[in-house]
Amino acid sequence: MGDALVAIGRDRDEQAFALIYDYYAGRIKSFLMGKGMNEDTAEELTQEIMLTVWRRAESYDPGKAAASTWLFTIARNRRIDYLRGNSRIEVELDDEMLDIETTESDTQARFVANEQSAVQLEAALDRLPPEQRQVMHLSYYRGQSHGAIAKWLDLPIGTVKSRIRLAMQSVRSHLQGGGDALDRNDYLDAD
Amino acid sequence: MSTSHHLTDETLLDYAAGSLTDAMETLVACHLTVCARCRQKAQLVEAVGGVQLIGGDSRPMRASARSVLARADAHEPAPGATAIAARSGRAVASQGVASHGQVPRPLQRLLPVPLDELPWRRIAPGIKQFNLSDEPRRNGAFKLLHLAPGVVLSGHTHNERELTYLVQGSYQDEIGRFRAGDIADLDGEVVHQPVVDTDEPCIALIATDSPVRYTGVFGRLVQPFVGI
Repeated sequence: MGDALVAIGRDRDEQAFALIYDYYAGRIKSFLMGKGMNEDTAEELTQEIMLTVWRRAESYDPGKAAASTWLFTIARNRRIDYLRGNSRIEVELDDEMLDIETTESDTQARFVANEQSAVQLEAALDRLPPEQRQVMHLSYYRGQSHGAIAKWLDLPIGTVKSRIRLAMQSVRSHLQGGGDALDRNDYLDAD
Repeated sequence: MSTSHHLTDETLLDYAAGSLTDAMETLVACHLTVCARCRQKAQLVEAVGGVQLIGGDSRPMRASARSVLARADAHEPAPGATAIAARSGRAVASQGVASHGQVPRPLQRLLPVPLDELPWRRIAPGIKQFNLSDEPRRNGAFKLLHLAPGVVLSGHTHNERELTYLVQGSYQDEIGRFRAGDIADLDGEVVHQPVVDTDEPCIALIATDSPVRYTGVFGRLVQPFVGI
């Protein structure tokens, strides 16, 4: 999918756009509706998001983000623009107060920020216990607080939070240590 | 800047998912500016968002890729002239004060004047505030607090979430010592009573989801004035 985004940015490749559209548009629409948007608005906004993808594909850098991450952030930010009327607030990379990253943490940054690592991340998420996966999924797909998720699942809020923490800990340790070798085994098993 | 109090995974996740208010986003972005470690964690949860999108359900689209592209041709803007224009909407007169070394840009954009010229409003002995929100108080607070040396805030807790970003100075509470760049990411289970512990005034940016609940009679009495 990263290749398709590059092709859109470089060649205005309409077939590559159709590929991205057919895979992601329905998923983005579902994401918006999961967060409480009605179908008409979600359809309209998804079309605009896909237009943004078409126009901004030049700025996609496959070395810095997986296609899925890039599309997710565009969808998320456009939703915020639409609902709030002001932009999402983010770190500005030319801020003179910006903390420069240490060597120690660079390993993890490199690990996360590309197409290949998204595959490893997917494997790490797949091996979470179902109750942790569910809470992670709801955190992204419900535009609500953990209190609301806890109420919805009929769980104490502390349980929801600890599931999130445990999930993120195992994802991080999977990515940092030996994740590579384990993943390869997974694919062998899958064959 | 070396920081010792960080964002929780839950807050980073809510930030990545786009579930926080703009006030909370501002505090998260301030800490992420000065903390590479949390910034990397944030990058990871954003990638998790992408994976969630892949694994999520799909709803049928009414429009085809072709018909959406037809709209693009109809009003094609110059390439690259997109998101940056939208971003400047919030900026007040802060562009010119970029050299003010202690305020991360996400906060700086909300200040009408440099930090040391802010028209603080006195709300209690040793406590001044500058309100950053027009929202009614029941929706939570978003403000800067200026605390004189030795000030002890009333013991309090919160309903859902309270974020505090230390802009200047330091304070101590039951959790530890907080200095510039640190963030206190607290929920309703924590009762704390911050004390300004040096000669320097302490400036803190705070955002709450809902009004704090004071645990002592005095706090309950001053709450209407403090407004947090």
